[in-house]
Amino acid sequence: MRNSLYSTALFVGLLTTTLLASPLVNAKGVFQSGPDFVAEVFAPQQSDSKVLWINDDIRQQAEKILGRPVMGLRVRYHQSAGKTAWILNEIGKEMPITIGVVIDQHSIASVKILAYRESRGGEVRYPAYMAQYQGATLTERYKLDKSIDGITGATLSVWAVNKVTALALYYHSQVNPKAAEPTKQPSK
Amino acid sequence: MKSTKSLKINIIWHRRLGLSVFLVLIFLAISGFALNHSPALKLNKIDLSSNWLLSWYGLEKPAINGFNLQGKWLYQDGNSLLYLDQKAVAPCSAPLRSSTTTADTIFALCADALLMLTEKGQLLESFTQLDGLPINAQAITRIEDRLYLLTDSAALEFNSDSLALTPEPNLDLALLAPQSTLAPLPELLEQQLEDSGPSISLETVILDLHSGRFFGQFGVLVIDIVGLLICILSITGLLAWINRLRQIKQ
Repeated sequence: MRNSLYSTALFVGLLTTTLLASPLVNAKGVFQSGPDFVAEVFAPQQSDSKVLWINDDIRQQAEKILGRPVMGLRVRYHQSAGKTAWILNEIGKEMPITIGVVIDQHSIASVKILAYRESRGGEVRYPAYMAQYQGATLTERYKLDKSIDGITGATLSVWAVNKVTALALYYHSQVNPKAAEPTKQPSK
Repeated sequence: MKSTKSLKINIIWHRRLGLSVFLVLIFLAISGFALNHSPALKLNKIDLSSNWLLSWYGLEKPAINGFNLQGKWLYQDGNSLLYLDQKAVAPCSAPLRSSTTTADTIFALCADALLMLTEKGQLLESFTQLDGLPINAQAITRIEDRLYLLTDSAALEFNSDSLALTPEPNLDLALLAPQSTLAPLPELLEQQLEDSGPSISLETVILDLHSGRFFGQFGVLVIDIVGLLICILSITGLLAWINRLRQIKQ
């Protein structure tokens, strides 16, 4: 009798937990608007809204990073001092993922999924996962210099975030060129 | 003797049931296989747009209208592309609500984004709802050098450089009527769009046929009955096998 009660309670508990957890698993939706993201990133200061014009060279490199054609003649970003915020879209499997990327002094300060429209793979948006990108910079081959862990079932979403973060770093380098490294003087 | 009679009856009904469902059963197996491998077969990429199929699904090819912008036609193809004259210029969710121009920019207000294009139709930038475009934006219009975005109940001045929207409570909405209105496309452009418009993916059609929904409630009922008959068929088959085993033992 006692065992039966215990089993029933366990079953009800598991069922309730599953039902409560199901909205968390379904991570589809818009989580933050662009203006709210920018305000949060630069608070309490104000940022300037600027545009990066995509010339042929930039377009060519951006297309190499994304592996697809780039639309639009200009990309909007927000800047305050050496910190920039970019809101970019990239297709995960079939639908675009809107990703906010903050770059500070040529390395990633934070990454946030603002809108996720795929039916599966939404785990990429969890802050613990996004924290991996902090501090990543762009290598000479326009890849992230950090190894990012994959997520089973969300591989395409992870690739999309990797590409967008690399693209944001590249765009940042175009609007905030790195100071030229001092050239070594030939020894006399 | 009794056992032999019941075995005969069982086998007769098993045959009858088998004959009555075998065609549907083969179709369900093939369509189920196709649906299971839909991504590999790319069934969702195959669009069907024959008139009878569209009318069966209650869809009609909409009359495509556009905006005549000083000799250039801006229109949406009924799916998700914006055209300037004969050139597809950018993705644009239907409906195309409004359009206006400035000296060097064309503005197209789609269902979920305001697109800014050059005179030649190159996409400059898109201002989406995620970027702050009001969900209830109905029209975009220009008075002298100023652009205004009209919602259900308000007018907002739109700065196309900063994408800032500033409420203009003192403006008379009646004065802000859109300059260009939708008009029927010239015949040449209409002919070009013959094959566009609503379509249904092959995957959807197969799924609806598989479930019976293609034929409405009646189809669903038929598939339900077929499912029930398949259950009975498997039971009669099992009984026939057991009876036969018994007979062999006896």
